[in-house]
Amino acid sequence: MMSLDEPGIRILLVDDEEAFTRNMSKLLVRRGFRVSTADSGEAAVSAVEENEFDVVVLDLKMPGMGGIEALKIIKRKKPMVEVIILTGHGSVETGIEGMHHGAFDYAMKPIRIEELQEKIAEAYQRKKIRLQSTQG
Amino acid sequence: MNSNGDIKSGSYRKSAGATKKETYAELYRRFILLTLICSVFPLILVGWGIYTYYSEFATARMVDYFQNLTEYHRKIVELFLKERTADLQLTAFTHSLEHLRDTSNLNRVFNTLNREEVFFTDIGVINDRGRHVSYVGPYDLMDKDYSETFWFKRVMERGVYISDMFMGYRSVPHFIIAVLRSDENQKWILRATVYTDYMRSLVEDVKIGETGEVYLLNREGVFQTAPRYSGKIMGSAPFRMDVFTEESGIHILEGEKDDLDRPLPKQIIAYAWLKKPRWLLGVKQDYDEAFRAVNHANHAILIFLHVSILAILVVAILTTRHMIKVIQKRDEEEERLSMQLLQASKLASIGELAAGVAHEINNPLSVILTENQVIRDLGEEATSLDGDFKGQLFESLSQIEAQVQRCSHITQNLLRFSRRSKSKIEMVDINKCCEEVIELLEKRAQTSGIQFIVDLENDLPRLLSDPFQLEQVLINFISNSIDAHEGKPYGTIRINSRLNSRKQGIEINISDTGSGISQENLKRIFDPFFTTKPVGKGTGLGLSISYTIVKSLGGNIMVRSEMGKGTEFTIFLPFRTAKDFEDSPYDVAG
Repeated sequence: MMSLDEPGIRILLVDDEEAFTRNMSKLLVRRGFRVSTADSGEAAVSAVEENEFDVVVLDLKMPGMGGIEALKIIKRKKPMVEVIILTGHGSVETGIEGMHHGAFDYAMKPIRIEELQEKIAEAYQRKKIRLQSTQG
Repeated sequence: MNSNGDIKSGSYRKSAGATKKETYAELYRRFILLTLICSVFPLILVGWGIYTYYSEFATARMVDYFQNLTEYHRKIVELFLKERTADLQLTAFTHSLEHLRDTSNLNRVFNTLNREEVFFTDIGVINDRGRHVSYVGPYDLMDKDYSETFWFKRVMERGVYISDMFMGYRSVPHFIIAVLRSDENQKWILRATVYTDYMRSLVEDVKIGETGEVYLLNREGVFQTAPRYSGKIMGSAPFRMDVFTEESGIHILEGEKDDLDRPLPKQIIAYAWLKKPRWLLGVKQDYDEAFRAVNHANHAILIFLHVSILAILVVAILTTRHMIKVIQKRDEEEERLSMQLLQASKLASIGELAAGVAHEINNPLSVILTENQVIRDLGEEATSLDGDFKGQLFESLSQIEAQVQRCSHITQNLLRFSRRSKSKIEMVDINKCCEEVIELLEKRAQTSGIQFIVDLENDLPRLLSDPFQLEQVLINFISNSIDAHEGKPYGTIRINSRLNSRKQGIEINISDTGSGISQENLKRIFDPFFTTKPVGKGTGLGLSISYTIVKSLGGNIMVRSEMGKGTEFTIFLPFRTAKDFEDSPYDVAG
């Protein structure tokens, strides 16, 4: 399930739609990101525990552990990891709810690669700033 | 199948309506009946009681009055006769036969008796052989022999005798009083003729109403005085004497006829017997006249009773009608509310469904978009492909992306619709609201050949309202405007927003070039279930719900329409504070 391809920003892509994660990871890898994928909240949590990631792109609606629950655990265990919420529900409210629990931003499906790329870059930027401020 | 089903449901609806009407009619009948039983029945009972009791009471009083009157007159007549008899007895017992034989002495006595009032016409002394031995009076009766007369024999037997009226030698109706003086050696009689006019005046002059009369009758039914109407003095009474009992009493004469065989009116006779002579004093009056006052009172009671019943009936009908109307209105209101509730729950379930569908579609759309990007990436990297091919490929990929974005837009609108059931008051940008609705309906309008002309005033202040409900209202109005163009190949719908003239709120104006609404229908367009659309196309609830929403948001709706030219709706929404929504069912955000 996990794959580490290239050096660069380390991304964990979490979605139960396998076609989506497969395509999206291809696209991101092509754009210089190091991408891992997970198909459930539980898998995402264990992936974060085992490996270091810079940004987690997290779908909200998944069977088993939902996105919000996974978000809470991830932020508790690895507070430095930035999380971008992806929602197919199209409602602003769920995205905002995610931000209340520590997500960096939210985006609505379907999302263009440029848009996601931009958001990931912003999230990574922020992580770097936070890292510097804690080390400094 | 379908059309059969429609006919069935149509007739069912009709029969349901008819049943409802019958129920109200039945209710109406029952209310009226109940009111009548509860009020008219006791009224009739009381009225009947009063009528009967009063009739009996008044009749008894009237009969008493008649009897008292009769008794009074009987006493007067009897007293008069007693006094005259006493006068003669005193004269007989205080004067001797020898003394009275002298006519001058008898004349002196006669004058003394008549000194106060003329009571006697003549006076005479008759010896025991029946011969007039002395006489004072206007007739020549000296030496007249009475020995064979009935009265002479009676007075010799009984000592005192008062005769009935008779004609006698003088041929005028009169009667006499005779008293006998019996000494040891001789018997003689003092006889006087009573001055009839005086005695008759005592009886005949009594006036009772218009038909009343008082008279004296002897035992044979011969009038001793002249009655006013019933006959002549010395004439026979027009009724049989055996109807009178020996005691005094009351007799009702009915079905009698007069001398000329004409029917007599019903009459009441009160009667009393004199002791000496055995005459009957009758007081008679037409029954109707005697009981006129009683009858009047009874008529008044009956009229009052009828008027009261009529009044109760009218009041019962009016009250019942009003009550039925109130009940009907309440029923309709209840039905309307339940339909609204049904509609709301329908909307809510449609919303849930829409949300689910949107989510399910968004995921495949995401996959399509990423696949699209993968192909584009591959295309860009491929060096073996010629420029033309690449150009066409990228154009197709762009088209796919555009269509995905379009689908995504639709799902977002669906999701917005799903949130409409949640009422929340927040600051709303009216123009944004309008734009969203226009975007949602634009495609539909275009397929009907309708163009939207949108003119939204810039920099409108935001106002506190419910954005989702407002959207619903706008969707309803604009949808109606689109439907109003049915049958027309093209048309326009203008949508304006502006600050209202007094700057108290915002006006949204929706005017169309549709078929218009008739003046008759214009009054009813906000009524629930009123629709002019064909069966199965409109619920007739859209405008009614919209109206309710706008009213609950504190606004109002104005309509202008001209048949064949179009309709203009103006929705006014006031600037309100959170306090204005305190009593409303809304949650105010923030």
